[in-house]
Amino acid sequence: MIRAHGIKKNYGVRTVLNGIDFVAERKKITYILGSSGGGKSTLLKILIGALKPDDGQVFFHEMDITKLRGTGLDPFRKKIGMLFQQGALLNSLTVGENISLPIREHTPLDDNIIKIMVKMKLELVGLRDFEDLYPGQLSGGMQKRVALARALALDPEVVFFDEPTSGLDPIVSSVITKLISDLNRVLGITCIVVTHAVEEAMKIANKIVILYKGMVLAEGTPAEIRGSSDPIVQQFITGSPDGPISFHASSRDFREDLLVE
Amino acid sequence: MKNFVGYLGRAFITFLQDLSSLYYLFRETVFQSFVLITDRKKLSQARLLTQIDEIGTQSLPLVLAVAGLLGVAMTVLISFQLKEVGGYSYIPGLVAVAIFREMGPLITALIVAGRVGAAFTARIGTMKVSEEILALETMAINPVRFLVVQRFIGLLFSLPALTTLASFMAVFGGFLFGSTRLGIRPDTYVRETLDVLTFTDVYSGVIKAGVFAVVIVMVGCYRGLVVEGGAEEVGRATMLSVVSSTLAIIVLDTVMTGAFYG
Repeated sequence: MIRAHGIKKNYGVRTVLNGIDFVAERKKITYILGSSGGGKSTLLKILIGALKPDDGQVFFHEMDITKLRGTGLDPFRKKIGMLFQQGALLNSLTVGENISLPIREHTPLDDNIIKIMVKMKLELVGLRDFEDLYPGQLSGGMQKRVALARALALDPEVVFFDEPTSGLDPIVSSVITKLISDLNRVLGITCIVVTHAVEEAMKIANKIVILYKGMVLAEGTPAEIRGSSDPIVQQFITGSPDGPISFHASSRDFREDLLVE
Repeated sequence: MKNFVGYLGRAFITFLQDLSSLYYLFRETVFQSFVLITDRKKLSQARLLTQIDEIGTQSLPLVLAVAGLLGVAMTVLISFQLKEVGGYSYIPGLVAVAIFREMGPLITALIVAGRVGAAFTARIGTMKVSEEILALETMAINPVRFLVVQRFIGLLFSLPALTTLASFMAVFGGFLFGSTRLGIRPDTYVRETLDVLTFTDVYSGVIKAGVFAVVIVMVGCYRGLVVEGGAEEVGRATMLSVVSSTLAIIVLDTVMTGAFYG
């Protein structure tokens, strides 16, 4: 369904992605894991067509979205949903208006039907009574659930999630994780989740892709990842501070750095 | 010296890039405005009246207060000079022409640039850094149509109207001072004003206001749309927005005054 091939991206002299290949299969949950600053968000922006890679292609069905520009991306974007890390709800609109926005923009449906659809989407995320509130009046977890309802507004084939549980308490995190699982199981939506929450991935993912230094370090089912003999994979999934993944992000030697005027 | 030349070169290149981006934004805004006007459903959702209210009605008290005081101040200054030669009868005409041709459009545009243009940048910049604009794009919603067009149309209606009202208010301020403090008879003041003021004086001010509206919207929205980073960058962009639009308004005002009356 979504196939990334040889994705490369540099910011100046810094290589962020250095030849990413992976496939996210239809009606499955794919988790993309990686440490902070490891290029996950860059990869996600490339997957949704918000950023062009320096090299490589991203195929949605057989359509290469890296070749599309401007309104050419619209047919693809109408088939996907995106849950942003901070929700990215429009603060000047109410919860109901946020969810109805893509429906009003892209369908000829009248107001009464749109209202019913908004209630259905809110019911999916358990927030039916919050339609008239503004995003600023909701907690972080509620905002993410509303953002998820908005992402589902046009009944997308694929939903992308950017760090869906970061900054949330364990209970709300579990609620969001269960929602992702239910969306996939009940509605058959393909889910692509970018996160560093390993346990969450182990619970519900059909496939896990681990990024390290801009490349795919490992991919497979949660069981395969757990059983990996690669010390970097093991350090990443156990969260151990000691191991091949260095705590220091600087590439220069500390002693040399101190001696430089 | 080498650094200074380098700095100037970079600043000039940035200026050209900004100018080119502003042109593309303007072109897209005009195109999307036609799309909006021809689509009755989208037009009804566009909240144009809300924009006109926010931009125009809410700016009205400040604009009228400043314009009234400006009219009084100009009359005081002109009367001070004309007193020496006994030319009080020239005051109404001088004040009216100066206000309708120059001061009314200029002062109104500068007030609106500071009040409304800065708000455009701050609001759109905040939306940019909180990924709301990326969210719009991901939903296949054109951010220019959603964020810029309604402001563009709103200000294109509001600023000429505000300018005309401000000019009348300034002339009224001059009338009050002239008739109460300088001893000019009210009917003489009105007659002298109408004798001198031409239709060209009024419509040149309206045309200027239309051009200033385009400048304020384009600069305000552009600065917001290109913000990268966080709150600090939004603040910097807002400051840059006010500085750029103020400069552009003054330069264009000089050019247009030259074109109309030079």
